[in-house]
Amino acid sequence: MAIVKPKKHPPHMDMTPMVDLAFLLLTFFIMTATFKTNDAEVNTPSSVSTIKVPDDKIMIISIDKDGKVFFGVDAQSTRISMLDNIAQSKGITFTDLEKKKFSLQSSFGVPLNQLKAFLNTPDAQMAQIKQPGIPVDSTGTSQLADWVYAARKADPGLRIALKGDNIAKFPVFKDVLGNLQSQNINRFNLITASEQAPAGFSMD
Amino acid sequence: MSAIVETGGGGKGDGKVRGKKLNTNVDMTPMVDLGFLLITFFMLATTMSKPTSMTLNVPDKTEKVETEPLKASKVLTLFLGKNDDVYYLDGVAADDPKAEESLKTTRFGSDLRSVIFESSKRINAAYPKDEKGFGAFVVVIKPLVVSTYKNMVDVLDEMAITKSKKYALVDELTDSEKKLLGDKAKP
Repeated sequence: MAIVKPKKHPPHMDMTPMVDLAFLLLTFFIMTATFKTNDAEVNTPSSVSTIKVPDDKIMIISIDKDGKVFFGVDAQSTRISMLDNIAQSKGITFTDLEKKKFSLQSSFGVPLNQLKAFLNTPDAQMAQIKQPGIPVDSTGTSQLADWVYAARKADPGLRIALKGDNIAKFPVFKDVLGNLQSQNINRFNLITASEQAPAGFSMD
Repeated sequence: MSAIVETGGGGKGDGKVRGKKLNTNVDMTPMVDLGFLLITFFMLATTMSKPTSMTLNVPDKTEKVETEPLKASKVLTLFLGKNDDVYYLDGVAADDPKAEESLKTTRFGSDLRSVIFESSKRINAAYPKDEKGFGAFVVVIKPLVVSTYKNMVDVLDEMAITKSKKYALVDELTDSEKKLLGDKAKP
């Protein structure tokens, strides 16, 4: 009598649904990811405000914990025309390569006279450079004011956001404010982290 | 020994040409591995909480608006000092002889909030509302040079929480205030 041997199959599970799910999640996370840039590291204070920061058409002035000021504009084309504007007003010329490199910087904090040298450093070293910050003084007419002017000339619709570090000292903020007010900018967005409002509080 | 095994050609010997059954199961494990690796990466790299923004409107410096001077009795003055201390003068001007003893210290958070609430209740009850329907209560915020950006945001936040609509951010101290605060205002 022949013995019926069960056919040996390797155990097989249908992984298709799991793969579907995995890639769905992957797609979601790729879409929502915002990449870390080599911006100044700023720990913002929190507020109960629920207004979101606009994504586009925004210039961000950051103040890091040492009171150094950084400046950034969101769109790359705006960055290039901003650089053109400032080059024109200050009588400096930038090569196409320098412009290209500048357009890749999401924010920068170098004085104008060091900008060329900064843009000519190799990519690998760029992240390591300690940027000294944009000079800001209390008279309201410093390089930050020039940059803001150049940026607004490049795109008049830019909104202005200030992003300060928790432990940045108030006088730096005051100087930045003075620079902006000298150009008649009186409305700002202060970027903060969100925080739970105390009980019984309603926003209206 | 005499049997010769046929090789090649038709295959099994019964003459039928049969295509070899291909295994259609593709091993998906490496793909799944990679998929989950990427998911993990993106999950860790994504920040879910978007930053919020608060709007700050400052008065135009170029245009001079004539305003009557504030009555000290309607004003709560907050001085933001170092180490997150808040000194306050409730309804007393800095040049008042009583100022020294009425200068008190509080902390951010619920302490400051109750100071603001109490002061606004007292002042709004004592004075009629103005023509725009706002209470008479005014907060003057004076960040000292030793205060931080966080202090300023916190105090503006406190204005939103306590719904104090009339407040002013002033960065210059008067002479009497300088005298009153003394060392507290020095870096």
